[in-house]
Amino acid sequence: MSTPGDITEVMALDRLVHEPARLLILAVLSGAKLVEFGFLEQVSGLSKGNLSSHMSKLEAGGLIEVKKSFRGKRPLTELCITPAGRRALANYRRQLATVMQGIPAPAAPTKRRREE
Amino acid sequence: MIDDVHDRLQDLEELTRSYARYSRNAGGLSSVLGGVLCLLAYFGGQLLHGVAVASAVLIAIPAVWLLAKGWMTRRYYQRWGHVEEQETPVERRMHWFCVVVVLLVALVITAVLASAARPHPWSLPPGMLGYLALLWLLVLAAWRWLRSPLDFIVGVFLFCQAAMVSGGGYYPLIGTTHTLQATQMSLVALMFPLAALAMIANGVREHGQFQQLRRRLQQVRAGQGGEA
Repeated sequence: MSTPGDITEVMALDRLVHEPARLLILAVLSGAKLVEFGFLEQVSGLSKGNLSSHMSKLEAGGLIEVKKSFRGKRPLTELCITPAGRRALANYRRQLATVMQGIPAPAAPTKRRREE
Repeated sequence: MIDDVHDRLQDLEELTRSYARYSRNAGGLSSVLGGVLCLLAYFGGQLLHGVAVASAVLIAIPAVWLLAKGWMTRRYYQRWGHVEEQETPVERRMHWFCVVVVLLVALVITAVLASAARPHPWSLPPGMLGYLALLWLLVLAAWRWLRSPLDFIVGVFLFCQAAMVSGGGYYPLIGTTHTLQATQMSLVALMFPLAALAMIANGVREHGQFQQLRRRLQQVRAGQGGEA
């Protein structure tokens, strides 16, 4: 059963980071200085549109920086995580760990339940 | 559950970090090529001295290596998109230190050669002008491409040997010299083939690691990686 303290922790989770696709983007970007859009598309498995939408939100929140240029005639989009983005990701991990510590482990299924 | 999420995030971060290494520190097959070319330049400098075609090849080797290195990175090791490695502060400082040292050496050599030239500083023979051009190209290469310690050592040697050949000389092989100065030079130059061997071994290891990384990336792309 959750205590009021647990609920406060849950409510304090950064929602901008909490969304799985955005969390994935931040995790990938935190492993490098600069990441080309194509690589992110490959490892995330997200569509271009979906990825762009999440990128815009993260950019608006100041967590990532998006650089657009051209390589020859082809448009080139590169992303990098900002110091604020790194802090937000580290903070999110800490918050999540705290929240999960407060939730009891699920009880083992009873014999009768297994029979069902 | 928290461990699972945490592990998956760490996994993705690690995967990206491993892939990013091939933009800067890891060369894989390009390191193997660099090592082989270094050995070729080391032995070829003296053994093929005076052969015009060999001299042209030795002068072209640094450019060939850097072009091949760039091509392999773009077309093979980072074919899923460019990802630049995050430098540590130590690596950044080390890199700038190496660039400054090379720059100072280039300045001193240029000043010495220019002051010795007669009647004007710019009236050097063509071979020596080529020597200076390669020396200054080394400064550019050290800043732009020679990021890892082994890349730096091997790259410096390839440019220096090319510059020496352009100026009509070469780094002597150990055991073939008679004067004290040449013996000292051959002893110093001995570190280059040793670095080349280390670079070849390192390149083979990095290429093996890349094969594992490639399989992991393919799993992730196929949705089997179970990423966050």
